[in-house]
Amino acid sequence: MGKKAAELMHGIRPHIRAVRTTKAIMSDVVIALIPALIGSIYYFGIGSLILTLTSVTTCVLSEYIWQRLRKEPIRVGDFSAVVTGILLAFNFPVTTPLWIVWIASVFSIIVVKQIFGGIGNNFANPALMGRAIVMLLWPGSIAQYVSANNAGTDAVSSATVLSMLKSGQENIGYSHLDMFLGNIPGALGETSKLLLLIGFFYLCYRQVVHFWAAITYIVTVVAITFVFGGNGWFTGDVLTNLLGGGLILGACYMITDYPSVAPRVKVMIAILAGIVTASIRIWGTLPEGVCFGILTGNCLSGLVEWMIQPHIYGVDRKKSNNNL
Amino acid sequence: MKYSSGNNFHGGIHCSDGTDKELSSKEPILFYNPRTVEISMRQSAGSNCQAVVNIGDRVVKGQLIGTPARFGAANIHASISGKVQDIVTAKDPQDNDTTYVVIEADTPENGMEIERIQNTDDYHKGFADISSFSREEIIASMKEGGLIGMGGAGFPTHIKYETTNKIDCVLINAAECEPYLTCDHRLMLEYGYDILNGIRLFIKASGAEKAILCLEDNKRDAAKHLNSLLFQSELPIEVKLLRTRYPQGGERQLIEAVTGQEVPTGKLPADVGVIVNNVGTAKALADVMFTQTPLISRCITVTGKVRKPLNFFVPIGTRFTELIELAGGFTAVYSRVIVGGPMTGTGILFGGGVSDLEGSVTKTSSGLLVLEDQAITETPCIRCGQCERICPAGLAPFKIDFACINEDYTLCEKLYATECISCGSCSYVCPAKRELAHRTTRAKIEVLKLRMERRKKQNG
Repeated sequence: MGKKAAELMHGIRPHIRAVRTTKAIMSDVVIALIPALIGSIYYFGIGSLILTLTSVTTCVLSEYIWQRLRKEPIRVGDFSAVVTGILLAFNFPVTTPLWIVWIASVFSIIVVKQIFGGIGNNFANPALMGRAIVMLLWPGSIAQYVSANNAGTDAVSSATVLSMLKSGQENIGYSHLDMFLGNIPGALGETSKLLLLIGFFYLCYRQVVHFWAAITYIVTVVAITFVFGGNGWFTGDVLTNLLGGGLILGACYMITDYPSVAPRVKVMIAILAGIVTASIRIWGTLPEGVCFGILTGNCLSGLVEWMIQPHIYGVDRKKSNNNL
Repeated sequence: MKYSSGNNFHGGIHCSDGTDKELSSKEPILFYNPRTVEISMRQSAGSNCQAVVNIGDRVVKGQLIGTPARFGAANIHASISGKVQDIVTAKDPQDNDTTYVVIEADTPENGMEIERIQNTDDYHKGFADISSFSREEIIASMKEGGLIGMGGAGFPTHIKYETTNKIDCVLINAAECEPYLTCDHRLMLEYGYDILNGIRLFIKASGAEKAILCLEDNKRDAAKHLNSLLFQSELPIEVKLLRTRYPQGGERQLIEAVTGQEVPTGKLPADVGVIVNNVGTAKALADVMFTQTPLISRCITVTGKVRKPLNFFVPIGTRFTELIELAGGFTAVYSRVIVGGPMTGTGILFGGGVSDLEGSVTKTSSGLLVLEDQAITETPCIRCGQCERICPAGLAPFKIDFACINEDYTLCEKLYATECISCGSCSYVCPAKRELAHRTTRAKIEVLKLRMERRKKQNG
């Protein structure tokens, strides 16, 4: 762009702009995640705070160092790395070794986000990609789930509700109220549905997230597991599927995440992600399918966007041969 | 996917909390006569006129001083009586060479004075008799009187009415969806009969069955006033309240909101049986027909960061400096002066004092707005999709933004950049503060160039 154009970049219409900035949106997400973070400290002890802080600092630092080395503008102040850090930590149980957290954070920020061009250019949710890589490389390290309020050094590892459901265990031992409040073994952020929902409603109130995408995703997963997930048709355990795993966390904070999905196709993506998630839960080897379900949705978004073209004012697509 | 119809158009933003209009919406229209006017021979974008007077000529108010040099222009008349002091060529705010005719008043009644306008004509006090005017006469008067759309685009009114299509309905655009502007609102409150008489003439000129006067629901008092004037008159004029949403007053958006129809791309509103006119144009037509005064003055809102926001009725060519001084001067630290509304208006001064201000009132200047001049820093797009959700044309501005930066205008064409209406809503909502509207508009121009080249190649 020439010098003249650069000069003209000042005072371009419109002369008034909305108050909201990228930083404000990201700060809102951080605020929304704080209740769940406090909840995880209550249930799993101070270890969850250490884990989250480790993840956040590693994310922010790796983004800063990358931008410093590449001589890009420093953009860590927009809080997006903080959001990634918190969400990443929420995907791990409190027993996860810190070196795993470091690797996952660096992978999320550098490989998934910065290599693709930084904020807005990542093809999938960085936090979920971080979790996915750890699940594939060191599956044992993040499978040591412990019961809530029992996170001392001698903590006994126990299965998550969903893996018990998966293995066909009849008596799960946790009531649905426990699951809702978070009094179950699981990853840091996925336990307390109540606190996650409080944050989600805050985001809806602030109009940061797409409410219907989250609802569609939840309904799809629950409906499919209800129909096919039980011993016969229409006998699936709806409440355990809804409250037992990371479904609410994924629906509220990850399927609604911005990268790669235009609002027009968000609901469609949510359905696709829901189908994959439910299929993994019912027929796959993993008890949980939220991570890969949403990642599949992220990757398919370009295709769906191409399939569902928007209506352009005054343009009849059938008559125009201008389609992408 | 079809747009929802019924008082609605696709997308749009809510860019005002209403306090901006309150600055001047209670101020009655004041009449001001300047000693000197500078009449631009370019009253709206791409409408150059040829000056037909010479330096030293004496002109009287209403005398023809400029004739159209190209399609899309309309006659220009002297707005005050006096002597042509100078004819200068200078750059206008959009960086185009423009000829200005400078007239200095020589009659004693003109001077620096502000008074309430006193209009005693019949058409100001009730429904006048229009049976003596034929359709052709009205259209000829529109052309003679230099009537152009006074909402902002400035398309000559007579061309709209010279259509061969059957017109079902005339829409009178009083949405005034731009924040801060109140001139149309005040016109409706103070010149109700003038406007309604003008609308009757529009109906006659178009052969339509009815007219719908559309305003946003933040102007309920004006709707009430006009309805009380229309009460028991049995005129085919309907007053319709629409929800307050920008760009409700965009021609194509208004048609969609009121009739539920879309104007196909490349077609005119007349092709779907509709003509849209601004409410100010309706008053101007009434003036032309009943008093034989051509369009030589207009209502303008002077507002924003000035000491006393006001609405004026001024001759075309009144200098902006004088208007700002009448409004008490700037109160902003670094003033940005905008002609028109804050969304689509053109910035003409960025910092500096009143004396640095250039330019004068044209037939399309609906407002003179002063805002604090703030720099905006662009940050990367986070693909939140807000711009796509609110785009009234249904485009994806963030994608066009990327394509335009990469100068990939073929992709811009495939993304329908040509359908952009330059309303600026995308830049308004963008949390990353990207100049989406600016680049989409640029992409539109480049794509049109591309198409013209292609056509040339095909033809030879």
